[in-house]
Amino acid sequence: MTKQTAYEKPIPLKTPDNHEYWDAADRHELKLQKCSACSTFIHPPGPACPTCGSPETEWELLGSDISATVYSYIVSYRPFLPGFQHELPTVITVAALDAAPDVKIMANIIECDPGDVEIGMPLKMTWVDITDDRALPQWVLARG
Amino acid sequence: MSTYSNQCAIVGVGENQRSRKSGTTPLHMALTAARNALADAGLEAKDLDGIMNYSTGGDSCPSHELATYLGCHPKYVKDVSGGGSSTELLIADAVALIEAGMLETVLIYRSMNGSSGVQVGRGYDPNMLQEMLPGGSFIMPYGSASPSQWFGMFANRHMHETGITKEHLGHVCISFYEHAQRNPNAFLNGKPLDMETYLATPDISMPFNIHDCCVELDEANAIIVTSASNAKNCKSKPVFIAGMAPRTTHSQVHYWTQVDEVAADHAAADLYKSAGVKPEDIQVASIYDCFSWVVLRQLESYGFAKRGEVGDFVAAGNLKLGGSLPSNTAGGMLSEGYTHGMNNVLELVRQLRHDYKGTERQVKDCELGIATGWAGPDIAGAMILRN
Ligand SMILES: [Zn+2]
Repeated sequence: MTKQTAYEKPIPLKTPDNHEYWDAADRHELKLQKCSACSTFIHPPGPACPTCGSPETEWELLGSDISATVYSYIVSYRPFLPGFQHELPTVITVAALDAAPDVKIMANIIECDPGDVEIGMPLKMTWVDITDDRALPQWVLARG
Repeated sequence: MSTYSNQCAIVGVGENQRSRKSGTTPLHMALTAARNALADAGLEAKDLDGIMNYSTGGDSCPSHELATYLGCHPKYVKDVSGGGSSTELLIADAVALIEAGMLETVLIYRSMNGSSGVQVGRGYDPNMLQEMLPGGSFIMPYGSASPSQWFGMFANRHMHETGITKEHLGHVCISFYEHAQRNPNAFLNGKPLDMETYLATPDISMPFNIHDCCVELDEANAIIVTSASNAKNCKSKPVFIAGMAPRTTHSQVHYWTQVDEVAADHAAADLYKSAGVKPEDIQVASIYDCFSWVVLRQLESYGFAKRGEVGDFVAAGNLKLGGSLPSNTAGGMLSEGYTHGMNNVLELVRQLRHDYKGTERQVKDCELGIATGWAGPDIAGAMILRN
Protein backbone atom coordinates (compact mmCIF):
# COMPACT_ATOMS: atom_id res chain seq x y z
CA MET A 1 0.00 0.00 0.00
CA THR A 2 1.68 3.23 -1.12
CA LYS A 3 0.59 6.55 0.20
CA GLN A 4 1.35 10.07 -1.03
CA THR A 5 4.07 11.35 1.27
CA ALA A 6 5.92 14.66 1.59
CA TYR A 7 7.97 15.82 -1.41
CA GLU A 8 11.43 14.26 -0.98
CA LYS A 9 13.42 15.87 -3.78
CA PRO A 10 15.41 19.09 -3.39
CA ILE A 11 13.16 22.16 -3.64
CA PRO A 12 14.65 25.12 -5.56
CA LEU A 13 16.18 27.57 -3.11
CA LYS A 14 14.94 31.12 -3.64
CA THR A 15 17.65 33.77 -3.35
CA PRO A 16 17.67 37.55 -3.91
CA ASP A 17 19.07 36.87 -7.40
CA ASN A 18 16.69 34.16 -8.56
CA HIS A 19 13.36 34.58 -6.71
CA GLU A 20 11.65 36.30 -9.69
CA TYR A 21 12.26 33.15 -11.75
CA TRP A 22 10.90 30.79 -9.10
CA ASP A 23 8.02 33.10 -8.11
CA ALA A 24 6.91 33.07 -11.77
CA ALA A 25 7.34 29.28 -11.88
CA ASP A 26 5.00 28.99 -8.90
CA ARG A 27 2.40 30.79 -11.10
CA HIS A 28 3.21 28.41 -14.02
CA GLU A 29 5.00 31.08 -16.01
CA LEU A 30 8.53 31.53 -17.37
CA LYS A 31 10.26 34.77 -16.50
CA LEU A 32 13.88 35.41 -17.44
CA GLN A 33 16.44 37.91 -16.26
CA LYS A 34 17.80 40.19 -18.96
CA CYS A 35 20.69 42.63 -19.07
CA SER A 36 19.52 46.26 -19.33
CA ALA A 37 22.78 47.28 -20.96
CA CYS A 38 23.36 44.63 -23.66
CA SER A 39 19.87 42.97 -23.76
CA THR A 40 21.29 39.45 -23.32
CA PHE A 41 19.19 36.98 -21.33
CA ILE A 42 20.88 35.84 -18.12
CA HIS A 43 20.23 32.23 -17.11
CA PRO A 44 20.68 31.06 -14.45
CA PRO A 45 19.96 34.47 -12.92
CA GLY A 46 22.72 36.26 -11.05
CA PRO A 47 23.90 39.52 -9.52
CA ALA A 48 25.13 40.94 -12.85
CA CYS A 49 25.36 40.18 -16.57
CA PRO A 50 27.99 37.51 -17.37
CA THR A 51 28.23 38.84 -20.94
CA CYS A 52 29.11 42.49 -20.22
CA GLY A 53 29.41 42.73 -16.44
CA SER A 54 26.60 45.28 -16.05
CA PRO A 55 24.78 45.16 -12.69
CA GLU A 56 21.68 46.72 -14.31
CA THR A 57 19.25 43.90 -15.02
CA GLU A 58 15.50 43.54 -15.61
CA TRP A 59 12.98 40.69 -15.92
CA GLU A 60 11.00 39.65 -19.00
CA LEU A 61 7.86 37.53 -18.81
CA LEU A 62 7.75 34.88 -21.55
CA GLY A 63 4.42 33.41 -20.48
CA SER A 64 3.22 29.81 -20.27
CA ASP A 65 3.51 28.66 -23.89
CA ILE A 66 7.20 27.79 -24.01
CA SER A 67 8.80 25.62 -26.66
CA ALA A 68 12.37 24.40 -26.87
CA THR A 69 14.67 21.87 -28.53
CA VAL A 70 16.78 19.15 -26.88
CA TYR A 71 20.42 20.39 -26.98
CA SER A 72 21.54 17.34 -25.04
CA TYR A 73 20.23 14.90 -22.47
CA ILE A 74 21.22 12.02 -20.25
CA VAL A 75 19.44 8.98 -18.94
CA SER A 76 20.36 8.56 -15.29
CA TYR A 77 20.01 5.06 -13.85
CA ARG A 78 21.06 5.78 -10.28
CA PRO A 79 19.53 8.15 -7.76
CA PHE A 80 22.08 10.70 -6.60
CA LEU A 81 19.54 12.72 -4.61
CA PRO A 82 16.59 11.88 -2.35
CA GLY A 83 13.30 11.20 -4.10
CA PHE A 84 14.70 10.07 -7.44
CA GLN A 85 14.87 6.42 -6.37
CA HIS A 86 11.15 6.18 -7.17
CA GLU A 87 11.51 7.43 -10.76
CA LEU A 88 14.37 5.56 -12.41
CA PRO A 89 15.63 5.95 -14.99
CA THR A 90 15.48 9.75 -14.90
CA VAL A 91 15.84 11.79 -18.09
CA ILE A 92 17.61 15.14 -17.64
CA THR A 93 17.92 17.55 -20.56
CA VAL A 94 19.52 20.87 -21.40
CA ALA A 95 17.01 22.44 -23.79
CA ALA A 96 17.51 25.50 -26.00
CA LEU A 97 14.53 27.88 -25.96
CA ASP A 98 13.08 28.37 -29.45
CA ALA A 99 12.54 32.07 -28.63
CA ALA A 100 16.15 32.50 -27.42
CA PRO A 101 18.39 29.53 -28.34
CA ASP A 102 21.32 30.79 -26.27
CA VAL A 103 19.17 30.26 -23.18
CA LYS A 104 19.33 26.62 -22.14
CA ILE A 105 17.03 25.42 -19.39
CA MET A 106 17.85 22.23 -17.57
CA ALA A 107 14.96 20.07 -16.38
CA ASN A 108 13.67 16.53 -16.58
CA ILE A 109 11.73 15.29 -19.56
CA ILE A 110 8.75 13.76 -17.78
CA GLU A 111 6.13 11.28 -18.95
CA CYS A 112 8.40 9.85 -21.65
CA ASP A 113 10.06 6.58 -22.57
CA PRO A 114 13.82 7.34 -22.24
CA GLY A 115 14.41 5.36 -25.43
CA ASP A 116 12.31 7.86 -27.41
CA VAL A 117 14.43 10.90 -26.57
CA GLU A 118 16.83 12.29 -29.18
CA ILE A 119 18.93 15.42 -29.55
CA GLY A 120 17.00 17.98 -31.60
CA MET A 121 13.52 16.87 -30.46
CA PRO A 122 10.90 19.54 -29.78
CA LEU A 123 9.78 20.06 -26.19
CA LYS A 124 7.09 22.01 -24.36
CA MET A 125 7.40 23.41 -20.87
CA THR A 126 5.00 22.23 -18.20
CA TRP A 127 4.82 22.99 -14.48
CA VAL A 128 4.43 20.38 -11.76
CA ASP A 129 2.98 21.43 -8.39
CA ILE A 130 5.39 19.92 -5.89
CA THR A 131 4.09 21.44 -2.64
CA ASP A 132 1.12 23.65 -1.68
CA ASP A 133 2.91 26.78 -2.82
CA ARG A 134 5.74 25.68 -5.08
CA ALA A 135 5.81 24.52 -8.71
CA LEU A 136 8.69 23.16 -10.77
CA PRO A 137 9.18 23.80 -14.51
CA GLN A 138 9.59 20.56 -16.47
CA TRP A 139 9.73 19.49 -20.13
CA VAL A 140 7.47 17.11 -22.01
CA LEU A 141 7.89 15.88 -25.58
CA ALA A 142 5.90 18.11 -27.96
CA ARG A 143 3.13 16.13 -29.66
CA GLY A 144 2.20 16.41 -33.33
CA MET B 1 57.72 36.09 -24.45
CA SER B 2 57.84 32.93 -22.42
CA THR B 3 58.33 32.81 -18.67
CA TYR B 4 58.84 29.05 -18.74
CA SER B 5 62.32 28.62 -20.13
CA ASN B 6 63.08 25.53 -18.06
CA GLN B 7 63.91 27.68 -15.03
CA CYS B 8 62.17 25.37 -12.60
CA ALA B 9 62.04 21.61 -12.25
CA ILE B 10 60.10 18.87 -10.51
CA VAL B 11 62.65 17.06 -8.36
CA GLY B 12 60.53 14.84 -6.15
CA VAL B 13 57.30 12.85 -6.31
CA GLY B 14 55.68 10.60 -3.73
CA GLU B 15 52.46 8.98 -2.66
CA ASN B 16 50.96 6.82 0.07
CA GLN B 17 49.44 3.37 -0.39
CA ARG B 18 46.04 3.87 -2.08
CA SER B 19 43.05 1.96 -0.75
CA ARG B 20 39.27 1.88 -0.45
CA LYS B 21 39.50 2.57 3.26
CA SER B 22 42.62 4.23 4.64
CA GLY B 23 41.46 4.04 8.25
CA THR B 24 43.35 7.27 8.82
CA THR B 25 43.13 11.00 8.19
CA PRO B 26 44.14 13.07 5.14
CA LEU B 27 46.90 14.57 7.32
CA HIS B 28 48.50 11.17 7.96
CA MET B 29 48.30 10.28 4.26
CA ALA B 30 49.72 13.67 3.20
CA LEU B 31 52.66 13.23 5.60
CA THR B 32 53.53 9.87 4.04
CA ALA B 33 53.32 11.29 0.51
CA ALA B 34 55.40 14.34 1.47
CA ARG B 35 58.11 12.26 3.19
CA ASN B 36 58.30 10.00 0.12
CA ALA B 37 58.62 12.99 -2.22
CA LEU B 38 61.38 14.47 -0.01
CA ALA B 39 63.25 11.15 0.00
CA ASP B 40 62.86 10.91 -3.78
CA ALA B 41 64.44 14.38 -4.15
CA GLY B 42 67.07 13.79 -1.49
CA LEU B 43 65.81 16.83 0.41
CA GLU B 44 64.82 17.42 4.02
CA ALA B 45 61.65 19.09 5.30
CA LYS B 46 63.65 22.14 6.39
CA ASP B 47 64.56 22.70 2.72
CA LEU B 48 60.91 23.49 1.92
CA ASP B 49 60.05 27.17 2.02
CA GLY B 50 56.60 26.83 0.47
CA ILE B 51 53.77 24.29 0.85
CA MET B 52 50.53 24.36 -1.15
CA ASN B 53 47.46 22.14 -1.31
CA TYR B 54 44.08 21.99 -3.01
CA SER B 55 40.87 20.47 -1.79
CA THR B 56 37.16 20.17 -2.49
CA GLY B 57 34.65 20.85 0.25
CA GLY B 58 37.30 20.66 3.00
CA ASP B 59 38.31 17.07 2.22
CA SER B 60 42.07 17.63 2.77
CA CYS B 61 44.29 18.96 5.59
CA PRO B 62 45.77 22.48 5.73
CA SER B 63 49.33 23.09 4.53
CA HIS B 64 50.26 24.62 7.89
CA GLU B 65 49.34 21.35 9.65
CA LEU B 66 51.40 19.35 7.18
CA ALA B 67 54.38 21.66 7.84
CA THR B 68 53.90 21.32 11.59
CA TYR B 69 54.19 17.54 11.54
CA LEU B 70 56.98 17.46 8.98
CA GLY B 71 58.74 19.51 11.62
CA CYS B 72 59.39 22.57 9.48
CA HIS B 73 58.38 26.22 9.28
CA PRO B 74 58.11 27.27 5.61
CA LYS B 75 57.81 30.96 4.72
CA TYR B 76 54.66 30.42 2.71
CA VAL B 77 51.62 28.16 2.94
CA LYS B 78 48.57 28.22 0.67
CA ASP B 79 45.37 26.18 0.52
CA VAL B 80 42.99 26.57 -2.40
CA SER B 81 39.63 25.13 -3.32
CA GLY B 82 40.05 23.28 -6.59
CA GLY B 83 40.02 20.05 -8.51
CA GLY B 84 40.93 19.12 -12.07
CA SER B 85 43.72 21.45 -13.32
CA SER B 86 44.70 22.59 -9.80
CA THR B 87 47.89 20.48 -9.88
CA GLU B 88 49.08 22.40 -12.94
CA LEU B 89 47.90 25.78 -11.63
CA LEU B 90 49.62 25.38 -8.25
CA ILE B 91 52.82 24.36 -10.02
CA ALA B 92 52.43 27.58 -12.06
CA ASP B 93 52.14 29.54 -8.79
CA ALA B 94 55.23 27.83 -7.42
CA VAL B 95 57.21 28.64 -10.58
CA ALA B 96 56.15 32.30 -10.38
CA LEU B 97 57.15 32.58 -6.71
CA ILE B 98 60.46 30.85 -7.35
CA GLU B 99 61.24 33.03 -10.36
CA ALA B 100 60.31 36.14 -8.35
CA GLY B 101 62.96 35.11 -5.87
CA MET B 102 60.51 34.75 -2.98
CA LEU B 103 60.83 30.99 -2.61
CA GLU B 104 63.30 28.30 -3.58
CA THR B 105 61.56 24.95 -3.04
CA VAL B 106 57.82 24.27 -2.90
CA LEU B 107 55.91 21.09 -2.03
CA ILE B 108 52.43 20.69 -3.53
CA TYR B 109 50.08 17.94 -2.37
CA ARG B 110 46.58 16.52 -2.71
CA SER B 111 45.26 14.26 0.03
CA MET B 112 41.76 12.84 0.17
CA ASN B 113 39.73 10.00 1.62
CA GLY B 114 37.95 9.93 -1.74
CA SER B 115 36.39 6.55 -1.05
CA SER B 116 35.77 6.30 2.69
CA GLY B 117 35.28 10.05 3.23
CA VAL B 118 33.95 12.63 0.78
CA GLN B 119 33.12 10.76 -2.45
CA VAL B 120 32.18 13.35 -5.07
CA GLY B 121 31.01 10.75 -7.59
CA ARG B 122 28.11 9.86 -5.29
CA GLY B 123 26.81 13.40 -5.72
CA TYR B 124 27.27 16.73 -3.99
CA ASP B 125 25.24 17.85 -0.99
CA PRO B 126 22.16 19.51 -2.52
CA ASN B 127 21.89 22.27 0.08
CA MET B 128 25.59 23.12 -0.17
CA LEU B 129 25.46 23.39 -3.95
CA GLN B 130 22.23 25.40 -3.97
CA GLU B 131 23.63 27.88 -1.47
CA MET B 132 27.11 28.14 -2.97
CA LEU B 133 26.45 28.46 -6.70
CA PRO B 134 23.94 30.64 -8.57
CA GLY B 135 23.34 27.67 -10.90
CA GLY B 136 22.85 25.20 -8.05
CA SER B 137 19.10 25.68 -7.68
CA PHE B 138 18.68 25.10 -11.40
CA ILE B 139 20.24 21.64 -11.42
CA MET B 140 19.64 20.04 -8.01
CA PRO B 141 15.80 19.92 -8.19
CA TYR B 142 16.16 17.77 -11.33
CA GLY B 143 18.29 15.06 -9.73
CA SER B 144 21.58 16.19 -11.25
CA ALA B 145 24.12 16.07 -8.43
CA SER B 146 26.87 13.79 -9.73
CA PRO B 147 29.73 14.77 -12.05
CA SER B 148 28.85 11.65 -14.10
CA GLN B 149 25.55 13.35 -14.95
CA TRP B 150 27.08 16.77 -15.66
CA PHE B 151 29.83 15.41 -17.89
CA GLY B 152 27.55 12.79 -19.44
CA MET B 153 25.22 15.54 -20.67
CA PHE B 154 28.01 17.17 -22.66
CA ALA B 155 29.58 13.90 -23.74
CA ASN B 156 26.28 13.01 -25.41
CA ARG B 157 26.16 16.30 -27.31
CA HIS B 158 29.78 16.09 -28.44
CA MET B 159 29.38 12.44 -29.48
CA HIS B 160 26.26 13.40 -31.46
CA GLU B 161 28.18 16.15 -33.27
CA THR B 162 31.39 14.27 -33.98
CA GLY B 163 30.39 10.64 -34.46
CA ILE B 164 32.16 9.35 -31.36
CA THR B 165 30.58 6.06 -30.27
CA LYS B 166 30.29 4.05 -27.07
CA GLU B 167 33.01 1.76 -28.47
CA HIS B 168 35.35 4.73 -28.77
CA LEU B 169 34.81 5.47 -25.07
CA GLY B 170 35.59 1.79 -24.48
CA HIS B 171 38.93 2.07 -26.29
CA VAL B 172 40.00 4.82 -23.86
CA CYS B 173 39.07 2.63 -20.86
CA ILE B 174 40.68 -0.52 -22.29
CA SER B 175 43.93 1.33 -23.14
CA PHE B 176 44.29 2.66 -19.60
CA TYR B 177 43.22 -0.60 -17.93
CA GLU B 178 45.92 -2.31 -19.99
CA HIS B 179 48.49 0.07 -18.47
CA ALA B 180 47.18 -0.67 -14.97
CA GLN B 181 48.00 -4.36 -15.50
CA ARG B 182 51.71 -3.38 -15.72
CA ASN B 183 51.53 -1.19 -12.60
CA PRO B 184 51.44 -3.16 -9.34
CA ASN B 185 50.31 -0.02 -7.50
CA ALA B 186 47.27 0.51 -9.73
CA PHE B 187 44.05 -0.19 -7.86
CA LEU B 188 42.66 -2.17 -10.81
CA ASN B 189 45.85 -4.16 -11.35
CA GLY B 190 44.70 -7.74 -11.86
CA LYS B 191 41.36 -6.60 -13.31
CA PRO B 192 41.84 -6.33 -17.08
CA LEU B 193 39.01 -5.10 -19.28
CA ASP B 194 37.97 -6.22 -22.77
CA MET B 195 35.48 -4.66 -25.17
CA GLU B 196 32.88 -7.36 -24.74
CA THR B 197 32.80 -6.86 -20.97
CA TYR B 198 32.86 -3.09 -21.36
CA LEU B 199 29.90 -3.03 -23.74
CA ALA B 200 27.92 -5.45 -21.58
CA THR B 201 28.28 -3.26 -18.48
CA PRO B 202 25.09 -1.28 -17.76
CA ASP B 203 25.22 2.52 -17.74
CA ILE B 204 25.15 4.59 -14.55
CA SER B 205 24.66 7.92 -16.30
CA MET B 206 24.41 7.47 -20.07
CA PRO B 207 26.86 7.22 -21.86
CA PHE B 208 28.99 6.26 -18.84
CA ASN B 209 29.16 2.88 -17.13
CA ILE B 210 31.40 2.19 -14.12
CA HIS B 211 34.48 1.72 -16.36
CA ASP B 212 34.07 5.22 -17.82
CA CYS B 213 34.26 6.75 -14.33
CA CYS B 214 37.46 7.29 -12.33
CA VAL B 215 38.16 4.98 -9.42
CA GLU B 216 37.63 6.99 -6.24
CA LEU B 217 40.06 6.00 -3.47
CA ASP B 218 41.74 7.14 -0.29
CA GLU B 219 45.13 8.48 -1.32
CA ALA B 220 47.66 11.30 -1.17
CA ASN B 221 50.24 12.54 -3.69
CA ALA B 222 53.02 15.12 -3.40
CA ILE B 223 55.27 16.95 -5.87
CA ILE B 224 58.35 19.09 -5.14
CA VAL B 225 59.25 22.00 -7.41
CA THR B 226 62.52 23.90 -7.15
CA SER B 227 64.70 26.26 -9.18
CA ALA B 228 66.77 24.73 -11.97
CA SER B 229 69.92 25.80 -10.17
CA ASN B 230 68.89 24.10 -6.93
CA ALA B 231 67.78 21.01 -8.86
CA LYS B 232 71.48 20.22 -9.37
CA ASN B 233 71.77 19.60 -5.62
CA CYS B 234 68.97 17.02 -5.64
CA LYS B 235 69.33 13.27 -5.80
CA SER B 236 66.78 12.75 -8.58
CA LYS B 237 67.00 13.52 -12.28
CA PRO B 238 65.22 16.87 -12.73
CA VAL B 239 62.16 17.17 -14.98
CA PHE B 240 61.95 20.75 -16.24
CA ILE B 241 58.76 22.77 -16.53
CA ALA B 242 58.88 23.88 -20.16
CA GLY B 243 55.46 25.46 -20.62
CA MET B 244 52.21 26.24 -18.84
CA ALA B 245 48.76 27.63 -19.64
CA PRO B 246 45.61 28.22 -17.57
CA ARG B 247 42.20 29.18 -18.96
CA THR B 248 38.53 29.72 -18.09
CA THR B 249 35.71 30.08 -20.61
CA HIS B 250 32.09 29.28 -19.71
CA SER B 251 30.21 31.62 -17.37
CA GLN B 252 29.02 29.13 -14.78
CA VAL B 253 30.39 26.34 -12.64
CA HIS B 254 28.30 23.20 -13.34
CA TYR B 255 25.62 25.03 -15.37
CA TRP B 256 27.27 24.75 -18.75
CA THR B 257 25.38 25.65 -21.90
CA GLN B 258 27.52 24.41 -24.77
CA VAL B 259 30.46 22.16 -25.54
CA ASP B 260 31.49 23.51 -28.96
CA GLU B 261 34.20 25.56 -27.32
CA VAL B 262 35.89 24.48 -24.09
CA ALA B 263 38.60 26.05 -21.94
CA ALA B 264 41.12 23.42 -23.06
CA ASP B 265 40.82 24.62 -26.71
CA HIS B 266 42.21 28.00 -25.66
CA ALA B 267 44.74 26.70 -23.15
CA ALA B 268 46.27 24.57 -25.91
CA ALA B 269 47.41 27.46 -28.11
CA ASP B 270 48.97 29.31 -25.16
CA LEU B 271 50.58 26.13 -23.88
CA TYR B 272 52.41 25.20 -27.08
CA LYS B 273 53.50 28.81 -27.53
CA SER B 274 54.88 29.01 -23.99
CA ALA B 275 56.98 25.87 -24.53
CA GLY B 276 57.86 26.51 -28.18
CA VAL B 277 56.75 23.02 -29.24
CA LYS B 278 53.98 21.44 -31.32
CA PRO B 279 51.56 18.58 -30.57
CA GLU B 280 53.56 16.22 -32.81
CA ASP B 281 56.67 16.77 -30.63
CA ILE B 282 54.95 15.27 -27.55
CA GLN B 283 56.05 11.69 -26.77
CA VAL B 284 54.14 10.84 -23.60
CA ALA B 285 50.97 12.25 -22.05
CA SER B 286 49.02 12.56 -18.85
CA ILE B 287 45.49 13.46 -19.87
CA TYR B 288 42.90 14.30 -17.23
CA ASP B 289 40.50 11.36 -17.14
CA CYS B 290 37.78 11.79 -14.53
CA PHE B 291 35.59 10.24 -17.28
CA SER B 292 36.59 8.49 -20.50
CA TRP B 293 34.95 11.10 -22.75
CA VAL B 294 36.95 13.92 -21.17
CA VAL B 295 40.07 12.34 -22.72
CA LEU B 296 38.50 12.36 -26.19
CA ARG B 297 37.46 16.02 -25.97
CA GLN B 298 40.96 17.00 -24.81
CA LEU B 299 42.69 15.04 -27.59
CA GLU B 300 40.73 17.32 -29.92
CA SER B 301 41.61 20.46 -27.89
CA TYR B 302 45.33 19.78 -27.67
CA GLY B 303 45.66 18.95 -31.35
CA PHE B 304 46.44 15.22 -31.18
CA ALA B 305 43.57 14.33 -33.51
CA LYS B 306 41.20 16.44 -35.58
CA ARG B 307 37.58 16.96 -34.55
CA GLY B 308 35.67 14.00 -35.94
CA GLU B 309 38.77 11.77 -36.05
CA VAL B 310 39.39 11.36 -32.33
CA GLY B 311 37.43 8.11 -32.11
CA ASP B 312 39.53 6.49 -34.84
CA PHE B 313 42.69 7.80 -33.14
CA VAL B 314 41.94 5.92 -29.91
CA ALA B 315 40.54 2.84 -31.68
CA ALA B 316 43.90 2.52 -33.50
CA GLY B 317 45.61 2.06 -30.11
CA ASN B 318 47.43 5.39 -30.08
CA LEU B 319 46.96 5.86 -26.32
CA LYS B 320 48.64 2.54 -25.56
CA LEU B 321 52.33 1.91 -24.95
CA GLY B 322 53.76 1.61 -28.45
CA GLY B 323 51.13 3.99 -29.87
CA SER B 324 51.83 7.51 -31.10
CA LEU B 325 50.78 9.11 -27.80
CA PRO B 326 51.21 6.73 -24.85
CA SER B 327 48.89 8.26 -22.25
CA ASN B 328 48.16 7.68 -18.57
CA THR B 329 50.71 4.92 -18.58
CA ALA B 330 50.14 4.02 -14.91
CA GLY B 331 46.46 3.37 -15.63
CA GLY B 332 45.16 6.91 -15.21
CA MET B 333 42.34 7.91 -12.92
CA LEU B 334 40.12 5.34 -14.64
CA SER B 335 42.17 2.44 -13.28
CA GLU B 336 45.19 3.50 -11.19
CA GLY B 337 43.62 5.90 -8.69
CA TYR B 338 42.14 9.34 -8.35
CA THR B 339 43.78 12.33 -6.70
CA HIS B 340 42.14 14.97 -8.87
CA GLY B 341 44.81 14.69 -11.54
CA MET B 342 47.99 14.61 -9.47
CA ASN B 343 48.68 10.87 -9.79
CA ASN B 344 48.83 11.26 -13.59
CA VAL B 345 51.46 13.97 -13.20
CA LEU B 346 53.55 11.74 -10.89
CA GLU B 347 53.58 9.10 -13.62
CA LEU B 348 54.57 11.61 -16.30
CA VAL B 349 57.55 12.69 -14.17
CA ARG B 350 58.62 9.06 -13.70
CA GLN B 351 58.36 8.37 -17.44
CA LEU B 352 60.45 11.42 -18.29
CA ARG B 353 63.09 10.37 -15.74
CA HIS B 354 63.13 6.92 -17.37
CA ASP B 355 62.45 5.33 -13.97
CA TYR B 356 61.07 2.25 -15.75
CA LYS B 357 64.04 1.82 -18.07
CA GLY B 358 64.55 -1.81 -19.04
CA THR B 359 60.91 -2.73 -18.42
CA GLU B 360 57.96 -2.91 -20.80
CA ARG B 361 56.38 0.00 -18.93
CA GLN B 362 58.92 2.63 -20.10
CA VAL B 363 58.03 4.92 -23.02
CA LYS B 364 61.37 4.49 -24.72
CA ASP B 365 63.70 7.52 -24.76
CA CYS B 366 60.85 9.99 -24.12
CA GLU B 367 61.98 13.57 -23.58
CA LEU B 368 58.85 15.70 -23.88
CA GLY B 369 55.51 15.18 -22.17
CA ILE B 370 52.21 16.96 -21.65
CA ALA B 371 49.97 17.04 -18.56
CA THR B 372 46.44 18.34 -19.03
CA GLY B 373 43.97 19.28 -16.32
CA TRP B 374 40.23 19.66 -16.82
CA ALA B 375 37.80 20.90 -14.17
CA GLY B 376 35.02 20.96 -16.77
CA PRO B 377 34.32 22.61 -20.12
CA ASP B 378 34.82 25.85 -18.17
CA ILE B 379 38.28 25.50 -16.57
CA ALA B 380 41.55 24.02 -17.85
CA GLY B 381 45.22 24.11 -16.98
CA ALA B 382 48.04 22.28 -18.74
CA MET B 383 51.81 22.05 -18.73
CA ILE B 384 54.66 20.66 -20.77
CA LEU B 385 57.54 18.87 -19.05
CA ARG B 386 60.92 17.86 -20.46
CA ASN B 387 63.94 15.98 -19.19
ZN1 LIG C 1 25.07 42.64 -20.50
